[in-house]
Amino acid sequence: MIKESYRQKSENELVKASLGGDKQAFGEIVTRYQNMVARTVKGMLGDSVFSEDIGQEVFIKLFYSLSEFRGEAKLSTYIQKIAINLTLNEIKRRKRFFSMFSQKGNNEMFEYEVADHDTQQKKEASELVSKALMRMDPKFRIIVAMRMLQGYSTRETAEILDLPLGTVLSRLSRAQEQMKNILGKL
Amino acid sequence: MKVSDLKELLIRSLDKESDAEAISGKIENAGAVLRFSEGFQSKVLEKIFSSGSAVIRKVEFARNMNYVFYRIALTGVAAIVLLLISIFMMEGSLSLDSFLGLGGGDDESILCLLTGN
Repeated sequence: MIKESYRQKSENELVKASLGGDKQAFGEIVTRYQNMVARTVKGMLGDSVFSEDIGQEVFIKLFYSLSEFRGEAKLSTYIQKIAINLTLNEIKRRKRFFSMFSQKGNNEMFEYEVADHDTQQKKEASELVSKALMRMDPKFRIIVAMRMLQGYSTRETAEILDLPLGTVLSRLSRAQEQMKNILGKL
Repeated sequence: MKVSDLKELLIRSLDKESDAEAISGKIENAGAVLRFSEGFQSKVLEKIFSSGSAVIRKVEFARNMNYVFYRIALTGVAAIVLLLISIFMMEGSLSLDSFLGLGGGDDESILCLLTGN
């Protein structure tokens, strides 16, 4: 359990304490940002146990690269970039694997397991979102996950993905077209 | 929320002008929640702090390998450049024959050398 006092600490204080090997401080960072990472990783890879492994990897990588975090950007942006890089690497790895050993298409290499929900309606909603995301072109999926699941503005999306604003806007509009087609069939 | 309303919301979330933060909140309220399983934080902390030394070793090994590879690659490139320069200075060209050391010889002398006649 994380002590109550850590919940009051600022990002910078938590980073400093974590650099000194403070387990509780890093635990608080994980607590604060695990849902954000889950939305990115599971939004792009599907809601499966493999996504959990990538999620863990994100925080392990964060821990060992904390000394490189200079505090110029928000910690959430830094974590988000790690999550995106690891997820994109995993997508590339899966593409390579499937192109060598399987006839599966792009969409079938991402699985999803719908978690338990308190109502049937919520379960259906979760299933719909997961299915729609997994059927999207991976190139657009990242933009969709940033926007639809994380609620980032186009400017924030461009900053996190290191893309020009114009590219984000054009991909967003193409992603919207693709989303309309996909949802029309679901 | 009806499925048709949710679909509408998903499409609207990708609008350039829409308030993505508000819409993503509504999508989450509708039930589209992506979360890690219970105990995720403990698993991460356990991996880092209990097998910490193993992970540190792995990271350090990768970093050292990168460093060594970088050094070897640089040395290799330098050696190749020196070799090319020396071949060019000695043979006057960088053709395949120059690389094989055949630049100065003609066909007949090679034939003599190989057949002994």
